[in-house]
Amino acid sequence: MNAQAPVPALCVQDLAVLHGEDVLVDATSFSIPAGGVLTLLGESGSGKSLLAQAIMGHLPANLRCAGRISINGESGEAADVAPRQAGWGRRIALLPQEPWLALDPTMTVVQQVAETYELVSRPAVDTQNDSLRTARSNARTSALDALASLGLRDAADKYPFMISGGMAQRVAFLATHAAGAPLLIIDEPTKGLDADRRGEVLALLQAARKEGMSLLCITHDVWLARALGGQLAVMLEGRMVERGEAEAVLAAPQHTYTRRLLAADPACWPLPAPVQAAAGDVGRVIAEISGVSKAFGERVLFSDVSARIHAGEILAISGPSGAGKTSFGNLLLGLLKPDAGTVTRAAGLARTAFQKIYQDPAAAFAPTVSLRQSLRDVVRLHQLDWNRLEVLLARMRVDTGLLDRLPRQVSGGELQRIALARVLLMKPALIFADEPTSRLDPLTQQEVIGLLVEEARAAGCAVLLVTHDTDIVRCVADRQIRLGS
Amino acid sequence: MSRLSASDVLVERGASRWTCGQSAGLLLLLAVALLALVGPIVIDIDPARQHLARFLEAPSLAQPLGYDQLGRSMLARLAHGARLSLSLALVSVLSAAVPGFLIGLLAAWCGGWTERVLAALADAVLALPGLLLVLLLAALAPGGFWPLYVGISLALWVEYFRVVRAACRVLLASPQVEASRLLGFGPAYIIRRHVLPALLPRLLTLMRFGLAGAVLAMSALGFVGVGLQPPTPELGVMMIELLPYYREAPWLVGAPVLVLFMTLLGLLLLSPQKEAA
Repeated sequence: MNAQAPVPALCVQDLAVLHGEDVLVDATSFSIPAGGVLTLLGESGSGKSLLAQAIMGHLPANLRCAGRISINGESGEAADVAPRQAGWGRRIALLPQEPWLALDPTMTVVQQVAETYELVSRPAVDTQNDSLRTARSNARTSALDALASLGLRDAADKYPFMISGGMAQRVAFLATHAAGAPLLIIDEPTKGLDADRRGEVLALLQAARKEGMSLLCITHDVWLARALGGQLAVMLEGRMVERGEAEAVLAAPQHTYTRRLLAADPACWPLPAPVQAAAGDVGRVIAEISGVSKAFGERVLFSDVSARIHAGEILAISGPSGAGKTSFGNLLLGLLKPDAGTVTRAAGLARTAFQKIYQDPAAAFAPTVSLRQSLRDVVRLHQLDWNRLEVLLARMRVDTGLLDRLPRQVSGGELQRIALARVLLMKPALIFADEPTSRLDPLTQQEVIGLLVEEARAAGCAVLLVTHDTDIVRCVADRQIRLGS
Repeated sequence: MSRLSASDVLVERGASRWTCGQSAGLLLLLAVALLALVGPIVIDIDPARQHLARFLEAPSLAQPLGYDQLGRSMLARLAHGARLSLSLALVSVLSAAVPGFLIGLLAAWCGGWTERVLAALADAVLALPGLLLVLLLAALAPGGFWPLYVGISLALWVEYFRVVRAACRVLLASPQVEASRLLGFGPAYIIRRHVLPALLPRLLTLMRFGLAGAVLAMSALGFVGVGLQPPTPELGVMMIELLPYYREAPWLVGAPVLVLFMTLLGLLLLSPQKEAA
């Protein structure tokens, strides 16, 4: 073999993903050198996860792919998935989205990692010589060593639900990595993780690079793309619109979409114009919390917290995960009862004057009922005007045709905007927005936060915003409450 | 070529089609139901009417299953037997499922003491073998229809209670229900839009198994002589009555066995592609 031209870890030629005759991902070509990194940046629905699935060879049954894929020099037709599947874990591995959902809840952490060592990574010679028992104990030892190397020694005998999201991610990484695949595909590693955990993910990926692994990282997180370096490719509607060195692309984006994507990063948002609240409403207290404590069992979330919420203000709640931000809002909404202290609402407010926007909008709608029916139910119950809803939806740029779908059939950003419209329909005095955009793409995030703030200001409605992102707090909040530490 | 976004692919999934097994199950059940519903009307012969001279007469065109050991029309008896089994099973299962669902929902909704008392009650019933309960009641009023019905319902409601309570506890605490409550919807709406659609697949699966169990339990009781009594044309009673004649007339004892088999197989084959419970 020629030493001057090292074999690329992954080389993709004209890879396309098709649904019948429809093109979901256009013919795409790229390659990752051994030990290199390629980050695919794009919003959900841009086809970046499909691309990863096509490379792995586990596309959904109703999709097919075309083109050629070569892994570590072994080339083959993309449609011929069997050789790639045979190399799962050994030559190519995938760290899935939200890996805590991919761990087996009935197995301890060390068992799951040892399983890969025992069943996937064992060389064929061992299979003949070792007894089952020695193989198993060797696998366990290797798994414990691996866990210790990532600081997870104490978690070895815990079950997945007993460990944090960041730890689960490291465990899943070890399980996928155990068989020594030199090429790792990572799907949305920061999705669903608190912002303060992103550093851990980055450290994990950088450690993998140091070991000489090649990474294909799929993300909508500009911060991660910037920190990871290497090559960067931007996907839009199934096409690769821009590609180059990460630093160069991020510093001087060529394509308009890349520019918009970078501008949507909360760090780049324009600072708010001075607040202009409706004259009569300034200072009117709509809810008051005094001396409130809340504990779940032994765990005290907060004690002796007092706050006043004024009409029309935007109030951010921040604090580390587990500090009780959601519980604080739920107390205010009357969904929880405080252990001590009082929560008072201003007199004369309707029972439905306090509303909530959820982190996962799909979980906030009845899953078997069409959106139109759900909204019609609200309109009928409170004898509202359907036209007002249509006006709201138009302002949110939601196509009313989407309403005939079920909640899981529309995208997260669209559904969150519909949820916002549903809440605004009630003319609320307070909206408790619990991490409303942590599962959305940057562009959608900017749009949803923008709409939330704009509509709330217009309606004189207070917003209680839970977010991890200090940049968002800086840009939109009038005031901030910090919980914990 | 048109362009689709990845999320559009989600829309077209989930079109349901009948599988082979499900169609077969449905056909079997339809055949038995036809026999039970239409049989007694079309045949129009009193199943208790005896023609002793026609003792064990072989099948003919007029009487496709011939006559039994007392010269009664076998087809008429079979049709009445199927009707009896199916209707009793259906009534018992419904009168177990409806209270089981309501009590389970009540327990999950109220929580606290209500839930603890109801759960203890359910555990107490569960500690008693179901068939034993039926036998006890049957011993109090031998041969009647009521002890069987009450006994089977009493033994069966617990599983509906447990499934509904467990599922509802999760569901009632979920964001979808919380959002509906905040929007001002009351219990009726939450049950109609959130609880029933989520639970119906599981309840239907339980009811299929419940039906199969009730049909089987009744035949078993009839067979060992503690269920319905002769001359009632009941499947288990017919089997034990006709068993001594299996050499001379095997079709006679075969017929109730086949109806029972078709009913049970049909109910079990009707399972959805993805078992929900």
